[in-house]
Amino acid sequence: MKLESKTQKKAVNWRAYLAGLGMVVLATLLAYLVHTFFAPANIIMIYPLCVTISAILGGLGPSIMVSILSVLVFDYFFVPPFFTFAVDDTQYIFSFIVLLLVGITISYLTSRIRQQTETAKLRERETAALYALGRDLAISSDIESYIASIARRIKEALGHEVMIFLPDTANHGNLKRYTGAPDTVSAKNELAAAALSFQRREKVVTDNAARYLPLVTARGVVGVMALKTIDPSVELTDEQERLLGAYTDLVAVALEGIQLSEELHNTQVLKATEKLQTALLNAISHDLRTPLVSVIGTLSSLQEEGLALDDAAKKNLIQVAREEADHLNHLITNLLDESRIEAGAIRLSKQLSEVQDLVGATLEQMGSRAGARSIKIDIPQEIPFINVDFGLIVQTLSNILDNAMKYSPAESPIEIKARQRNKEVHIEITDHGVGIPEEDLVNIFDKFYRIKRPDNVAGTGLGLSISKGIIEAHEGTIKAEKGSDGGTVIRVVLPVGDAAPSTAGTENE
Amino acid sequence: MSDAKVLIVDDEASIRRFLRVTLTSQGYTVFEAASGKDTLTRVAEDKPDAVILDLGLPDIDGIEVTRLLREWTQIPIIILSVRGAEKDKVAALDAGADDYLTKPFGVGELLARLRAALRRSAKAPDDPVFTSGNLKVDLSKRLVTVAGKETSLTPNEYGLLRVMVIHAGKVLTHHHLLREVWGTEYGDEFHMLHVNISNLRRKVESDPARPQLIVTEPGVGYRLKAGE
Repeated sequence: MKLESKTQKKAVNWRAYLAGLGMVVLATLLAYLVHTFFAPANIIMIYPLCVTISAILGGLGPSIMVSILSVLVFDYFFVPPFFTFAVDDTQYIFSFIVLLLVGITISYLTSRIRQQTETAKLRERETAALYALGRDLAISSDIESYIASIARRIKEALGHEVMIFLPDTANHGNLKRYTGAPDTVSAKNELAAAALSFQRREKVVTDNAARYLPLVTARGVVGVMALKTIDPSVELTDEQERLLGAYTDLVAVALEGIQLSEELHNTQVLKATEKLQTALLNAISHDLRTPLVSVIGTLSSLQEEGLALDDAAKKNLIQVAREEADHLNHLITNLLDESRIEAGAIRLSKQLSEVQDLVGATLEQMGSRAGARSIKIDIPQEIPFINVDFGLIVQTLSNILDNAMKYSPAESPIEIKARQRNKEVHIEITDHGVGIPEEDLVNIFDKFYRIKRPDNVAGTGLGLSISKGIIEAHEGTIKAEKGSDGGTVIRVVLPVGDAAPSTAGTENE
Repeated sequence: MSDAKVLIVDDEASIRRFLRVTLTSQGYTVFEAASGKDTLTRVAEDKPDAVILDLGLPDIDGIEVTRLLREWTQIPIIILSVRGAEKDKVAALDAGADDYLTKPFGVGELLARLRAALRRSAKAPDDPVFTSGNLKVDLSKRLVTVAGKETSLTPNEYGLLRVMVIHAGKVLTHHHLLREVWGTEYGDEFHMLHVNISNLRRKVESDPARPQLIVTEPGVGYRLKAGE
């Protein structure tokens, strides 16, 4: 939608003068043919018609020329004495004046209408161009797509490459170039020109006719927009200049908007992070200290010589302290894993592993914690090996089992079942506890999420969130479902590796 | 009670102190070292019967210390390491360490590992018969019985069991087992090893889902529990 340039319009004008002249000649020929039958008062009527047509098509200049010509020609050819400009009957002077006045009035009025129409058309095009950019900006969400839209629209409308320079917070607020063809030779000069424009808040034009326009809003300068000139000899028309001004304002406001929303977002993120960190610190310091209470308590009571403890009491104390210390160790392991997962630093060292072996190693590692519970294992022999990080999957399974044991009565059994479904292995851990409310089934994998329950069960709420992180790192899924009798089923789904034949039939003699 | 001499190597004084008190109470004579260099000198001069070696030493890496010691001595080396450092454990075991303990560990576990390591190095009279739980292996007759019933094993399964019986109680890395049973060129065929272990377990374990004899050491290897 390139706006037409001034030079083109001038050529059209000259043609209009010629056309006007032609029209007068034609009208005169026509009138001459019929002048013997028509009275001059009737013949004269053809000339205002020429003026009107000329005004509509050619504008003010040509139509005034036609008006004057008409008077002269009429006098010369049709007013006696013929073929002279002399006039016998003075009443014709009146006709001449009226003809001229009518012609000029028509010319003036028509050309004004014409001009208004043209201006309206131009405005419409400008509005459309601005609207197109505005719409692009409205659907862009980040600074890169903003700037890409700006560059594209301005290139379309003005035919110039656009560069945007914005202060870079990561680099002491120095300007950074966002678009424009990479031009390493002049990159330094470009930055310098942009910086000058930014500081002085005024237009800067460089040797190669590139212009740097500060993007100013009520809050100050948000950046600099630069037009790279492709052909320095072609100047911008008035309309293009005006459009450029409108673009500059629009871009300035849009960029300010995005900067403001980024600032707001950063503040919100910061607040949320602070809140999370406080919650984390509270939860962790509470959960780390709790086991230490019984450890320090036990040790100090053993140290206290005046305290007469019988052997059974001592044994009991020591047993509790030992369990709590183990719990503390488990907690620290989870915390470390969590931070590693969050930092994206978890590196899987995968090996083909047997599901049964994973479960066995989990129970072995859990030792006394799992030993007291009835755990039913249902893993068919033909289940394929899965390609996983053995230690991390053991950690996951022990977290899930810990949870299952914590949230179900001590005498109820826990079931571990594994099945192959297509290219996946499903591992289900089922408990027969009170279950998880429907609305919490999704949330239990969130960090520090713990269901509000009257019974005060120890834990950070970290275990399941870590498990989720680990399983997702394996491109698997973990879900909580309602058990058939109201308990909870945790379903871990892991993909079967390509090179994972089943145990059965692979004897390798 | 034991009268063996043990060298404790850890740069943390509190851990050395805890180990010294525990081991001394069990009758061991205890020496201490806080660095890799110190370790090499102490082993040469004090001639301990076993070394408990922390992998994270300030000067020389524990794995390197193991390698340097193995250049001239077969003294039992028990590695101390933290969870998550499985690669280091495997490297130390492959460098010749006998066993490992993951910090934090219980005293019972430590003493059991130490006793087992000392017993293995004491060059016990070659007894061809190994018994642990329901399992009985007679190496001289190539006979394996589970709960009194003869069990037939494939050559590879028997090969695995034989290596584990010879090193009963000791953790054997995946590489070690593969090299000994299949040969050096099979050092990376982990899957083959896992499948054979799985099949072997099904034949010798009473509950293969909860192995009591052939125990998995996550990320490291397997261990055959010795009957004590």
